[in-house]
Amino acid sequence: MISGIEIALKKELKDARGLGLQKKADSYFGIKIQDARCIDIVTIESDLDRPQLEMIKGEILTNPVTQISSLKPLDIQFDWCIWIGFRPGVKDNAGATALEAIQDHLGKTFGADDGIYTSKRYCLTAKGLKREDVEKLASALLSNSIIQQFKVFHIDQWDKLTGANVKPAKVILDHTPTCEVISIGSNAGLADISDQRNLALNILDIPVIREYFLDSKVLESRAEVGLKEPTDLELEYISQARSDHCNHNSFQGTFRYKDADTKKEVLEKNLFKTYIKEPTLKLKEQKEWVVSVLWDNAGVGRFDEKNNYVVTGETHNSPSNMEAYGGAITGIVGVYRDPMGTGLGSKLFMGSFGYCVGDINYDGPLQPPLHPRRLLDGVIEGVKDGGNKSGVPTTFGQTLFDKNYMGKSLVFVTALGIMPNQVKGKPSHKKTTSPGDLIIMSGGRVGKDGIHGVTASSESYSENTPAGHVQIGDPYTQKKMHDFLLICRDEDLMPFITDNGGGGLSSSIGESAMLSNGCVVWLDKVPLKYEGLDMWEIWISESQERMTIAVRPEDLDRFMELSAEHEVESTVIGEYTNTGKLHIKYKDETCAYVDMDLLEKGFPSWEFDAIWVSPETRGLTEPVISSPSDYNKLLLKILERPNIASKEWIIRQYDHEVQGGSVIKPLIGVKHNIPSDASVTRPVIESQKGLAFSQSLLPWYSKIDAYHMMTCTIDEAVRRLIAVGGNFDHIGGLDNFCWPNIQFDPKNNPDGKFKAAQLVRACRALKEGCEKYEIPLLSGKDSMYVDGHLQGEFGERVKMSAMETIQFSATSVIDDVSKCLTMEPKVSGDLVYVIGTTANELGASEYYDLFDKTGLNVPHVDFDKFKNIYKILQETIESELLASCHAVARGGLGVHLSYMTMAGGLGLDIDLSKLPTDTNRGTLLDETMLYSESAGRFIVTIAPENRPRFEKLLNSISSACIGTITDKHDHLKIAGHYKNTLVDLSINNIEKAFNKTFGDMI
Amino acid sequence: MRKVNALILTGFGLNCDNETAHVFELAGAKAHKIHINTLISGKVKLKDFQILVFGGGFSWGDDHGAGVIQALKLKDHIGKELLSFVDQGNLVIGICNGFQALVNLGLLPGLDNDYTKRSVAITYNDCGNFRDQWVHLTANKKSPCVFTKDIDIADFPIRHGEGKFIADKKIIDTLISQNLIVFQYADKSGTPAKGSFPLNPNGSIDDIAGICDPTGRVFGLMPHPEAYNHFTNHPDWTRNTQILKRAGKSFDQVTIGVKLFKNGVDYIKNSV
Repeated sequence: MISGIEIALKKELKDARGLGLQKKADSYFGIKIQDARCIDIVTIESDLDRPQLEMIKGEILTNPVTQISSLKPLDIQFDWCIWIGFRPGVKDNAGATALEAIQDHLGKTFGADDGIYTSKRYCLTAKGLKREDVEKLASALLSNSIIQQFKVFHIDQWDKLTGANVKPAKVILDHTPTCEVISIGSNAGLADISDQRNLALNILDIPVIREYFLDSKVLESRAEVGLKEPTDLELEYISQARSDHCNHNSFQGTFRYKDADTKKEVLEKNLFKTYIKEPTLKLKEQKEWVVSVLWDNAGVGRFDEKNNYVVTGETHNSPSNMEAYGGAITGIVGVYRDPMGTGLGSKLFMGSFGYCVGDINYDGPLQPPLHPRRLLDGVIEGVKDGGNKSGVPTTFGQTLFDKNYMGKSLVFVTALGIMPNQVKGKPSHKKTTSPGDLIIMSGGRVGKDGIHGVTASSESYSENTPAGHVQIGDPYTQKKMHDFLLICRDEDLMPFITDNGGGGLSSSIGESAMLSNGCVVWLDKVPLKYEGLDMWEIWISESQERMTIAVRPEDLDRFMELSAEHEVESTVIGEYTNTGKLHIKYKDETCAYVDMDLLEKGFPSWEFDAIWVSPETRGLTEPVISSPSDYNKLLLKILERPNIASKEWIIRQYDHEVQGGSVIKPLIGVKHNIPSDASVTRPVIESQKGLAFSQSLLPWYSKIDAYHMMTCTIDEAVRRLIAVGGNFDHIGGLDNFCWPNIQFDPKNNPDGKFKAAQLVRACRALKEGCEKYEIPLLSGKDSMYVDGHLQGEFGERVKMSAMETIQFSATSVIDDVSKCLTMEPKVSGDLVYVIGTTANELGASEYYDLFDKTGLNVPHVDFDKFKNIYKILQETIESELLASCHAVARGGLGVHLSYMTMAGGLGLDIDLSKLPTDTNRGTLLDETMLYSESAGRFIVTIAPENRPRFEKLLNSISSACIGTITDKHDHLKIAGHYKNTLVDLSINNIEKAFNKTFGDMI
Repeated sequence: MRKVNALILTGFGLNCDNETAHVFELAGAKAHKIHINTLISGKVKLKDFQILVFGGGFSWGDDHGAGVIQALKLKDHIGKELLSFVDQGNLVIGICNGFQALVNLGLLPGLDNDYTKRSVAITYNDCGNFRDQWVHLTANKKSPCVFTKDIDIADFPIRHGEGKFIADKKIIDTLISQNLIVFQYADKSGTPAKGSFPLNPNGSIDDIAGICDPTGRVFGLMPHPEAYNHFTNHPDWTRNTQILKRAGKSFDQVTIGVKLFKNGVDYIKNSV
């Protein structure tokens, strides 16, 4: 029986969802709606009687104070009605919680054919609206055809009895699960199969795969279990394991790097090994605080005598470009599983975000899958629901706009956890599987979700990319699992735990079974969302919120008891062995029987040609722009620019205080509206110790040279940490690469060789920076295909590649958080210093971008010099000589003095003629001093009485007092080279500009 | 003096249990984090506690109304025990999601000694979105609430998408006349916000941020006092400490958040 319940807010109450639609319809499309009301619909498929339905409606689904509801369609007036529901198989979180609540309330267990589905309809009062306009709202604002369906009703078509006539969004596959044997007669034949089945096997891997399965010994051993040629499941397993996503083939590839100017050629054999692994392992030897790196789901560093912290980062670009909300929530909830599956499991204590999107006001002819504006809305909301509902504070985040990201927008998510360094006397960062341990899958169930997600994100989009890999994360289920697992950890019930992410069980079991050297898996035991999945689909499904756990048989009862108490589903699905074989069964049938060391069988590394052409040879020069005459107007204009303007509206949607450890928040200043340099939290709430965290994104510099992009990005992240009180002796790094395709193809990727060279150069810079600043890379991630093919107005498709981008994250441990600093000037009469030198470095700056210029003089980082500055600055902070400290970043002194004056709500008198400068790269004009983005600089303020001690400490580095803080006026006053007034603006006017672009958004 | 045991509910998406337990320990209680199912199963009994805490979080993902399913589950399984817990003179505090659960249970406002009636609601913010923001609160000195004794004003963060307090005029009038409105959103000086955003962050009627029952022993509020457990939680601490330092003073390290919980703990300690 199918029943429907409709719920709406009482007429006199404001309907936020309706109002949101009205506002967006107007601002996105100029469509005017007089009134919009949203009705929630719960569709129940189960045999329930009328009193039961009334009880569900009244007790669970209706708030008597605010809502009205009915078992029939609610009679709410409209001209047009839009119904939106999920497509079958899409995760319906509200449907799942309704099911849980109803079962508990009625004391009834729903059967396999029963289900609860949620949908909604909007009742629009809009005179004269045309059907096509309503359909536009439905398709371009309210739903995404990848996960949702809609129906549009005009009032004349509306049947008051049947209403939207909602059918359960139930998956019916009507398919008998099979395991197919694949014929691998020839290389060409296997290549064809790879194409047909979307296996994305690399052409170089095919002969190796064939050789293995045709080997007489292998054949002999397989015959014992009734197998000959490979099964589809076995090929899927290899495909997952060999994908660029899992295996990092690009970073492990061979690069023939050639400098086009000098003709010099270098063979780079393995970027990961040379530039990431080796320097990090060397630093691990030197830095006793480094606990575990390079093998687990996340890196581990020491927090205090009893606790270690865990850090990792992810991108979730491809899915977010197709379905922004689903992609982003899956991304954040997914990255939160990594710390849960690091060592014996850690407790999450913070997360961060980084968004790189196209121009949100783009109105040109190209059609990305989602318009940048809609994409950003969805991504913000996805991380909001995923982060907030996980109970993890989002303490830091940055949003970047650039037209090049319209081809592929980037969604970075980062997660940090904390764990006791010992579990029952054993180090918590170590874990292993042993023969005899049971394999348990905990959390969500398995459906067709995300199949081939890994291989899809390892390719750029073609017209044939299946959209089925988009999912919706479920933070509620995961939070229950998180709490449950921490108890299991403390009781030492789990010798091994890892998460199910890309590649699903194929990766998590495949990799964990390497430790015991074998496993047998019973796929028929895996709990499914619906029947009819083929064996290979169960094996590689990426259904979310699942962990793979090893449990000793003697601990199984206790584990299951806790699992039941926390209402987390856990199932024994196999056993670790030491047979040397990955043995997968479905009932009595063997679906896979391969050697555990199959993946080490001499698969060839990928090869790339990399050709570097210097910026000068590419024809880049400094632009010819004469000095402006109206510096006030110029500064206000720059403050309005999307990359500089306030993004408070995004940050406020994220809970950045939960867990009670907030020390330096993402927004600071008298009005709590200025982005802070870094965040500081106390992950151990009883302790005075803090974890400082910062991130940096400076992709624009890649337009000139990705080498300097990398050095500047690392330097900025470190500088931000130092500014809040970070400890230079303890800096952990996290490199998150997003790179366009680097494989040269004369037709499809003609500049692939240059992009490959940019990657090599970025890696070299990474090593240099990490060695000089002594930063072990605790974790890292690469997304190698940030390109898109956008539909144009003449039926053409235009390839658009994102800039070569790195998000660099840095962590530090602060012994006493009471010494932390924020940037705002605090006391009138205090002195303002600039530390570090300003050079003629406007290349790829915000200033040049204002004039649509790139230039040549990209900022350079002098690691040795800056290191000295940072150490001295740290000393001044530890000696409590500073009242405030701020790292100068994008937009230079002009922008950052503006941030400071707003943050303090106090006037500033600044004299740039005193600014320490470096003229090696050219003379500095007033605009250069204001907008140069030279690295390694801070603005600090001190009490006048601290001047002698402060200047004494600083005597070996470039610094100068350039002004004072005042409450005599509320202006930012900046004088130039000849003491000429450049800027004289009230804080009020500065704030207006800063809030002009996004200030209306909440 | 009595020993004070506080039970902090956990599980099903609740997420402030750790810091809430910490702040109760700072306030002198013994804090116990107990999973809702452990309480329901009877493994742990309410009668062994004097303070019951419905903490913040997203119980059941906030689906179908924040706090609704949590309230229903507790009512279905331990409804009677809850009523007698209140009846026996113990304390109940609900914070954010917990406040939402209390009003859906009917434990608040508990007018006319009816602790089962849903007569007020906490619904979607007028601003249309989830919001994290520190707010200024003014406390009603005439309120019977035991948690806000000697507290005039307080700054705490709000972190919610559904925090707008609404009720019929009659109910609101009763809340006012019986001094059951404990906290109102205000400006820095303690003058009520009169609905102005963002001082009143959600559009609550009469700037209501927290209410209590007529006994003053059941208290619910949207802002998070447990998130002000350390002086460095306050958004202005770096500036305030610097200014005080110049005046030769140091910052009060006992926060108003801890004080609020201590009031509750002391009430039990001193009660017979």
